[in-house]
Amino acid sequence: MSGLSHIMRQRPFALQMSASKVANVLVARWASSQDIAPMDLKSILARPEEVEQRNKLSGKITVPKAVNLSPISGVPSDHIRERRVRIHIPPKNAMQSGTDNLQTWQIEFDNRERWENPLMGWTSTGDPLSNMNVQFGSKDEAITYCERNGWRWYVDSEQTKKERVKNYGVNFSWNKRTRVSTK
Amino acid sequence: MIRAPLVKALGALGSPTHQIASRAVRTSAIVAQTPAKAPDTIEVFVDDIPVQVLPGTTVLQAAAQIGVEIPRFCYHERLAVAGNCRMCLVEVEKSPKPVAACAMPVMKGWRIKTNSEMTRKAREGVMEFLLMNHPLDCPICDQGGECDLQDQAMAFGSDRSRFTDINYTGKRAVEDKDIGPLVKTIMTRCIHCTRCIRFASEIAGVDDLGTTGRGNDMQIGTYVEKLFLTELSGNVIDLCPVGALTNKPYSFVARPWEIRKVSSIDVLDAVGSNIVISTRTNEVLRILPRENEDVNEEWLADKSRFACDGLKRQRLVAPMVRMPNGELQAVEWESALIAVAKALQKANGQIAGVAGQLADVEAMVALKDLINRLEGETLVTEQDFIKGSGTDVRANYLLNSNIAGLEEADAVLLVGTNPRYEAPLVNTRLRKAYVHNELQIASIGPKIDLSYSHDNLGSDASLIKDVCSGSHAFSKVLEGAKKPAIIIGADILERSDGAAIHATIAEYCEKLKKPDWNPFNVLQNNAAQVGAYDVGYQPGLQRINQAQPKVLVLLNADAGKLTREQLPKDCFVVYIGSHGDNGASIADAVLPGAAYTEKQATYVNTEGRAQQTLPGVSPPGMAREDWKILRALSEVTGTPLGYDTLDELRTRLEDIAPHLTRLGKLEKASFNELSPKTATSKSISGGAIDVKQKELREYFMTDAISRASPTMAKCISAVNKQQRQDEAKQSVAI
Amino acid sequence: MAAIVRFNLLSKPQIVAALPASVQLRLQSTQAPPPGTPPPQTKTTFGPLADEDRIFSNLYGRHDWRLKGALKRGDWYKTKEIVLKGPDWIINEIKTSGLRGRGGAGFPSGMKWSFMNKPSDGRPKYLVVNADEGEPGTCKDREIMRHDPHKLVEGCLIAGRAMGAQAAYIYIRGEFYNEASNMQLAIAEAYQAGLIGKNACGSGYNFDVFMHRGAGAYICGEETALIESLEGKQGKPRLKPPFPADVGVFGCPTTVTNVETVAVAPSICRRGGTWFASFGRTRNSGTKLFNISGHVNTPCTVEEEMSIPLKELIERHAGGVIGGWDNLLGVIPGGSSTPIIPKNVCDDVIMDFDGLIAAQTSLGTAAIIVMDKSTDVIKAIARLISFYKHESCGQCTPCREGIGWMNKIMTRFVKGDAQPAEIDMLWEISKQIEGHTICALGDGAAWPVQGLIRHFRPEIESRMQKYAQQTQRASN
Repeated sequence: MSGLSHIMRQRPFALQMSASKVANVLVARWASSQDIAPMDLKSILARPEEVEQRNKLSGKITVPKAVNLSPISGVPSDHIRERRVRIHIPPKNAMQSGTDNLQTWQIEFDNRERWENPLMGWTSTGDPLSNMNVQFGSKDEAITYCERNGWRWYVDSEQTKKERVKNYGVNFSWNKRTRVSTK
Repeated sequence: MIRAPLVKALGALGSPTHQIASRAVRTSAIVAQTPAKAPDTIEVFVDDIPVQVLPGTTVLQAAAQIGVEIPRFCYHERLAVAGNCRMCLVEVEKSPKPVAACAMPVMKGWRIKTNSEMTRKAREGVMEFLLMNHPLDCPICDQGGECDLQDQAMAFGSDRSRFTDINYTGKRAVEDKDIGPLVKTIMTRCIHCTRCIRFASEIAGVDDLGTTGRGNDMQIGTYVEKLFLTELSGNVIDLCPVGALTNKPYSFVARPWEIRKVSSIDVLDAVGSNIVISTRTNEVLRILPRENEDVNEEWLADKSRFACDGLKRQRLVAPMVRMPNGELQAVEWESALIAVAKALQKANGQIAGVAGQLADVEAMVALKDLINRLEGETLVTEQDFIKGSGTDVRANYLLNSNIAGLEEADAVLLVGTNPRYEAPLVNTRLRKAYVHNELQIASIGPKIDLSYSHDNLGSDASLIKDVCSGSHAFSKVLEGAKKPAIIIGADILERSDGAAIHATIAEYCEKLKKPDWNPFNVLQNNAAQVGAYDVGYQPGLQRINQAQPKVLVLLNADAGKLTREQLPKDCFVVYIGSHGDNGASIADAVLPGAAYTEKQATYVNTEGRAQQTLPGVSPPGMAREDWKILRALSEVTGTPLGYDTLDELRTRLEDIAPHLTRLGKLEKASFNELSPKTATSKSISGGAIDVKQKELREYFMTDAISRASPTMAKCISAVNKQQRQDEAKQSVAI
Repeated sequence: MAAIVRFNLLSKPQIVAALPASVQLRLQSTQAPPPGTPPPQTKTTFGPLADEDRIFSNLYGRHDWRLKGALKRGDWYKTKEIVLKGPDWIINEIKTSGLRGRGGAGFPSGMKWSFMNKPSDGRPKYLVVNADEGEPGTCKDREIMRHDPHKLVEGCLIAGRAMGAQAAYIYIRGEFYNEASNMQLAIAEAYQAGLIGKNACGSGYNFDVFMHRGAGAYICGEETALIESLEGKQGKPRLKPPFPADVGVFGCPTTVTNVETVAVAPSICRRGGTWFASFGRTRNSGTKLFNISGHVNTPCTVEEEMSIPLKELIERHAGGVIGGWDNLLGVIPGGSSTPIIPKNVCDDVIMDFDGLIAAQTSLGTAAIIVMDKSTDVIKAIARLISFYKHESCGQCTPCREGIGWMNKIMTRFVKGDAQPAEIDMLWEISKQIEGHTICALGDGAAWPVQGLIRHFRPEIESRMQKYAQQTQRASN
């Protein structure tokens, strides 16, 4: 249910964002109206090797899109070969009415053996992957992620929500079976 | 006499609020009466965000449309609106009082403020009152960690307590009620949301729960101590927003943050309810329902929920081979497989396979492939069906109207089935249609309590002919209905005149069918049944008797229909399955398989929807997934099957029946498929139609897992005890 | 009376001509008011009520309450003609009279009854008479029902005709055994005389009257709880909307009205709405039954003109406060759920809806509970709260939990075993209940506490001080 407060907090935050955006635009306009660009002391005073290093870091690294990360991820190869990733939206907990955390897509590996650790009574597992819990904004992002890691995946389709008509009056209707019998 | 609030008196003479409210009533009434009118949306503002909603939408629903969730306790979207917890109070501009969002229909132009000062104060006030008499025993409460009251107190409650009277008179204490072996009550924690009462009377159809007393002394209970006698009782545990109703077998077992949740499918009936398996350290702790609008909505039947302790008992943990002294002895996998392979090789193709009620599609395909490779032909299911080529056409054995579709039905005839116990969640759909869609229901079979009123036409089989010839009074109802449905129990098709019954009804359904609506339904009660027919298994054990096999492979076949006497003396019986039940007791070799919580496997439910289970835990001991056992066996026999992984096996599945890999999707039987040609003779011999599960006690133990479950045994004894008490009371009254 | 009858016969310009010049000016300057508007009040002093203007002429049971006696007093006189004039006429007359509901909320009756005049959708309509008079201090409906039951029966017929109802249900408080007996007899008499039932009064209109006895729950006096109770369920209030005029008893359009409101309707129709409107201030018109109880010399129920000053009412009819007016501590002016007002407010408060709202209280059922200086006012209010705690239905949270909590606090306040800060807390708790509940019981329980804190805070504080001193002394 903490999701409720989260949603409620979102709005003022969005307002702040837009306010800062406005400020940026104003600064930009002010800057363009100046003849000389504002000087950055750091860049002027830097040594040449520093400048070179900074230039190197400032650029973006382009990565080929269809890269396979599995050889360098360190995950044992049999795990990559045999296992399948399930991409799904987590189900609502039937015990609660809150719906937070049910909006994102998750990846999940098949569950492997766990046992009670004889030393502490905690749960142990020899499986490096099934404890991994990554959330994604969309199904496609999750799929891309899995393909980059060389995992085979499948998507559990989304549940459709049904629209319901809620009417308090039908509890007392005179000729319908919706009339309440006990309370 | 009680007065309406002061504000009402103040603004009595035509105040704008009152005018709006009275207009609201009139509009809502009109909307309720003429649903056919084109729905014009109206605009309201939730926190200044405009939302277009249909007239009659509640404030809470309108807010949900833009993702604003209003806190609630008593409101549940699948239950009637009660409006009594007052947690959902929100401010509406120009209204002097906050309104209950769950019950109030929105009016055009309303400005709803879900986070205003007034709203927050109202919530905090209600929360303070709720916590006032709520014991703060969260550390020992089973709901702790998944408690709506906890969460909402954190989000909307005050940061401190003002309840100084704790030092004087203390809090309210309420005696716990005993409502059965499944639901534990700690009534002091109750916040009187009445969700359980509404569930019992609306969904389960038993008016067992109710309130007694008033004011602070109000209590939820059964009035006189009795069991909460329904097959859906476990759902009140989920519904209870606090820890007043908790899971008795699960009590004090685990905390929600220490368990792993695995989404899976239930196989203890043919509905294919979606479940979440809660596990910890390789142990299934509890089973919860998972929302699926098309199958189980949000409910779960008691057997599916509570029989999970049967997964730990009577398990086969090592391969076993029958010794010359007649005893089964545990052996290594290798020797067991060799023993079975020898028998298979010796059999010269006189091999048969039987799939039981818990067999998954993958294992059935593997078994079929293996036996076919060894030139065996006979592959049957334990459950019988009509004679002849009935299973060739898919529509002949499916619930063609769909589980969700039955909600829209307006006339239903039940033939030889008790959906209440054979498929409780199909019955809730029928009840839903009964309540909301004015469904008319009649049944042919014994008089049973279906939790809604229906006409029992009688139990004579000849009634089927009367109805289907159009001469019976109920025929008029079916023929006049927009969406009629006839549901045949799978068990009565085992009768010798099953084919005739099937054909008669199928022919009549040809007449009843509407575009996009198939009224012909067979309600299966075994999870494996539809899958077995889909991959080409034949129904009925009599084929085994005809074939006289040398080797018989039982795949989860535990119904006890097959005895040693029916088999040839030298027949070598192999049992593959999870529990030491009827099947294992007649076997010469026992190969321990995995239960449904331990394997990734496909099951097809009664409406033809393929769904897969996911492993929550690993099989105990040396037990292995069934298809892997068969794959290994094929290696030993020298006829290796062409798949090494589940994916490859699924590819093979796709070759046989493509719909089996379209998981979660409903694969309807094509519309024109339904053929009345199945029957050889159309004579329905008379005689009473019976159903197997007439009373609640017959519901709890129907398969190897539930037979092994101590909780289910407790349920049966509790029901028996209740009945003895009732009888004693009656005899005293007489 | 004769003059008033003539007034009704006059056409509109003639009425205008007959009115005083100042009123004429006002009428001409603005648009003519819509029909059903009560005429403006010209009087400035109100009460005492003349005997010929009393509606309940057998309030004290000195005459025969049966049909014969009732006919003698003018009941059932030309009822047929009234019924035949039809709903619009009756409702217009009630609107003109300015009658406001006598059950406490004071909703204009004409408007309320007109909500029922929607085109029928096939459902029958019902009139429900709320005779579950449970408010502590109130005893007006009981006098009507035991001494003038035919006024109510006739009222049912006329009100029922006005809203096109098929039948009236009189939900009578279970404890009113004798009243229920008298009512039942009166109904039987009316049936026998053909006044109600098929072709009531020979008007061609069919109308039934049923009586239903309650089982002793205060909450069943709330209109929707009453409906639930009438349907045979636990008397727990429903949410609104849907209002009873849309979905009421047995799911049909229903109006729930107080006994007094219904019982005055025939007189209004016979003597004219303007006659009724000539009593009391504008928006507060009519005569009203006042119950005066508590520390007065002669407690009584009396019919008086609205807007009569409280002091005059008590002195004239109840023989004054025991020990004289200066011995007065405070008055609960409208039944137990209205806030108490202290003596200085009582001195010149006017007994009508607006006058009491101005004094931060409410007319309620006009049950005046007088307390003299011998009263332990904290204990008195604590007793009321314990009553409300007992009578809360338990359905919704603020009332179920909140009143119990207030009761706990008030019990300690009686002793003084509390901190002064808890007074503010109690105030806040009462505000958390008020307006957050399904029905008005929560409000009714919150108001006495609020009245107490508003006017008697020093009293509470001094008691706490005294208790603290005592305990300190004891511990020393």
